[in-house]
Amino acid sequence: MGVTVLQPYPLPEGKSGAHIIDHLGKRLLSLGATHAGQFLVDCETFISTPQHGTPTRAVHVLHDSEFPASTFSIIDNGTGKQVALVADAIFDLLMLKMTSTFTSKKQTKIESRGARFEYGDFVIKLGSVTMMEHFKGILIEIEYRPCITLSYCWEMIREMLQGFLGINVAKEYPTYFTTQTIMNAMGQQQLHAKQNDLYEPMDTVKQYLEHFTNYRKHVQLHGGLGSSGLSVNGPVLMPSTVVGVGMGRS
Amino acid sequence: MDKLNLTLTAVKNLRSNVRQCFEHLADGTDGEGVEESRNKFVHDFQDRFGAINSQLREVEQLINGLQVPPTAYHLGNTTFLAQETSQDRQALYPQLVNSYKWIDKVHDHSFLAFNNLNQNTLRRSYNYCSQKRQRLPFSSFNNDPDHIDKLLSEINHPPHTSYNVFRPFGSNAVAIVTISNVLKAAIVFKGVLIEWVTIKGYDETLEHDDLWAESRYEVFRKVQEHAHSAMLHFFSPTLPDLAVKSYVTWLNSHIKLFLEPCKRCNKYIANGLPPTWRDLRTLEPFHEECRNS
Repeated sequence: MGVTVLQPYPLPEGKSGAHIIDHLGKRLLSLGATHAGQFLVDCETFISTPQHGTPTRAVHVLHDSEFPASTFSIIDNGTGKQVALVADAIFDLLMLKMTSTFTSKKQTKIESRGARFEYGDFVIKLGSVTMMEHFKGILIEIEYRPCITLSYCWEMIREMLQGFLGINVAKEYPTYFTTQTIMNAMGQQQLHAKQNDLYEPMDTVKQYLEHFTNYRKHVQLHGGLGSSGLSVNGPVLMPSTVVGVGMGRS
Repeated sequence: MDKLNLTLTAVKNLRSNVRQCFEHLADGTDGEGVEESRNKFVHDFQDRFGAINSQLREVEQLINGLQVPPTAYHLGNTTFLAQETSQDRQALYPQLVNSYKWIDKVHDHSFLAFNNLNQNTLRRSYNYCSQKRQRLPFSSFNNDPDHIDKLLSEINHPPHTSYNVFRPFGSNAVAIVTISNVLKAAIVFKGVLIEWVTIKGYDETLEHDDLWAESRYEVFRKVQEHAHSAMLHFFSPTLPDLAVKSYVTWLNSHIKLFLEPCKRCNKYIANGLPPTWRDLRTLEPFHEECRNS
């Protein structure tokens, strides 16, 4: 378990996602990486049924094939405060029992899947993000397993990313690591830079949630702008702009 | 199964009876030729013969009562007994030739290795020079524990490094060095002489009962290789304390293992690894490939 960074890859106009992923995979192989199976990260969101006096809360339930025995869940009460929980895989069945309080938003089920590569101690995953079978963009996960503190190995990871993606990656730490809020001893929220903390699997999952939320938000925007309320399923080429939004953040 | 057992017992009884009968016949009479004993002998034989007959019938009945087994019995290794024994049909010969070749090779190589090792004395603990030059033998390998404790406490280590000394092998010490959040190293001492170094990642376990397992990460396996060569480099039988001190200083330079680019190529990654080599004098980081070019 080492530091993991997510990097959205901007989709050039006129190219399909599968083509780009194929291309990147070939680059990695010629670099000397070995193909090591597939991966899948999925996210399902449950919304609490509104009751008087309590704001609606969302529970995001995520699975990561790198941690096959665990289910990750994050409760989000909408004010930026998040409660994270790691449970056994059987947690899914528990959620099914709680349909009276939490209802699943099926149409926002989003996942990233694709090939997994190993290069030295790096693990690189080329994921294509799909929501309701519609392609949304390319999300690249890179993990450096021996190191557990981002500030130690960020330059290495950055060099590796720039090397095989051929794009410029900003020198600053990814936003996830710089904009975390934690509760201090007085119960107040304060900004806390995470780059010197020990990395945990939950950090990977939270990063995925952050990126998935971005992809979803964009869809909602498009839904509002489009003439029909259900224009979620746009043409395949549209996501290029989606990734643009993601890029701007990191 | 019970029936089969009964049958087997019956066959056994039959065999032993037949054997007894033949033994009886072979013993014969006592040779006196007395009519009485001869009669007794014949009578005995008839009795035994009758017993054999009845047992034979019994065995036949039991055998008829047996059912053909639905599946083959699992007989374990004994099944091999009845297998093909013709030599041509077992590919033994090529295997035999191969193993002969291997033994020949092993013999050759071990002979060469023996000669080589005899020429280059790799034993560090027991000093040869001392015998030749009529000096006192060096005490680097049988120091008292207090000295090691003192030595390790004297090493002025930076705040991010912690030492944990314990003695699982009697008087010889093992020091577990944790360098920041980067790596853990176990240094096995023999006296003040460093015998072995194991390098592992910060998130791996390095316990006193598991000092010899390699790290699961390629980078730390490489660092361990370099740590061993550095261990030989810093070895000095005349100043064992200084050797340990300079070695630990060298080891501490790994705190920036992932942080510093290679001094020669200014890159972080080569062949999927960060600069794993630290120069022995300047402590500057290099890739393994860049260090001699």
